[in-house]
Amino acid sequence: MPGVAFVAHCLLNQNSKTHGGARCPGIYSPLVEELRTAGWRLEQMPCPELAFTGLHRFWAVKEQLDTAAYRRHCRRIASAVAAAIEVHVRRGDDVILVGIEGSPSMGVHITSSDPDRGGRPEWPDGSSELSPGSGIFMEEIVAELTERGVEAPRAMGISHQLPDHDPDAERSALRDLMGTV
Amino acid sequence: MDTDARCFRVALVAGELLNPVDGELDALSVLEQEEWGAIQLPAADYPDEVAGPLLEQVAEQAEEFVRNGYTLTVIRGRAGLDEALARVGIAAPPACAPETADELRAFLSEACR
Repeated sequence: MPGVAFVAHCLLNQNSKTHGGARCPGIYSPLVEELRTAGWRLEQMPCPELAFTGLHRFWAVKEQLDTAAYRRHCRRIASAVAAAIEVHVRRGDDVILVGIEGSPSMGVHITSSDPDRGGRPEWPDGSSELSPGSGIFMEEIVAELTERGVEAPRAMGISHQLPDHDPDAERSALRDLMGTV
Repeated sequence: MDTDARCFRVALVAGELLNPVDGELDALSVLEQEEWGAIQLPAADYPDEVAGPLLEQVAEQAEEFVRNGYTLTVIRGRAGLDEALARVGIAAPPACAPETADELRAFLSEACR
């Protein structure tokens, strides 16, 4: 086994997406196929938003979710996931993280941000909340791993919800992350 | 909203069936073909102190799907799952332990009726 990929929940379960965000019925196969073809073990991380804000949640920016209570919720999940990551790291397995770019929780290099957003939900056409940075859960899992003395794994986010999504580039980035190029 | 493609069906699946080795049943491929989502159960090679908190998360996620009328099933299951679901007030969903892809397909089909 070349390694273990801890993947965002929605890669295996699009039912967890915010309404309007499910790209396929259940399993987002392009990257799952890529990982399995290369022989990587899949480990699905919980969706931090699903159990906290529910299936009827609005699309949100990071500032709307960034409360002490949500951070505690994310840290509880991060603790569970980090313990599993630690098992593999101690065994000498290669570990990677695959998040969701543009997500306020699961973004790796791109999150969503708009400090003015709040109140009655209205969005001016064309407004963009995408901004560089990590989502809240990703910040918490890195913090949790650091506390455990475990180096944060290499990470990327899938980009299927970004306006410039390029499936070929996404697959290529995953192959780079796996080290199979 | 109009473009949302979700299937409203979620299977709680033994971790080993999502990472099959040596000709074992590949549940992930069947679930994809039959249009189900998956929630992975912690594999048996995790110690109890690692699996327990992961099962707690599985139960909390399953609870939200049940509350909203999604179809929920269990494929092969795992020790401690029923107890974790009971702690959030969910009765054990229909379950099966298929040996073949055809058995799994038949079970999933029946679960949709």
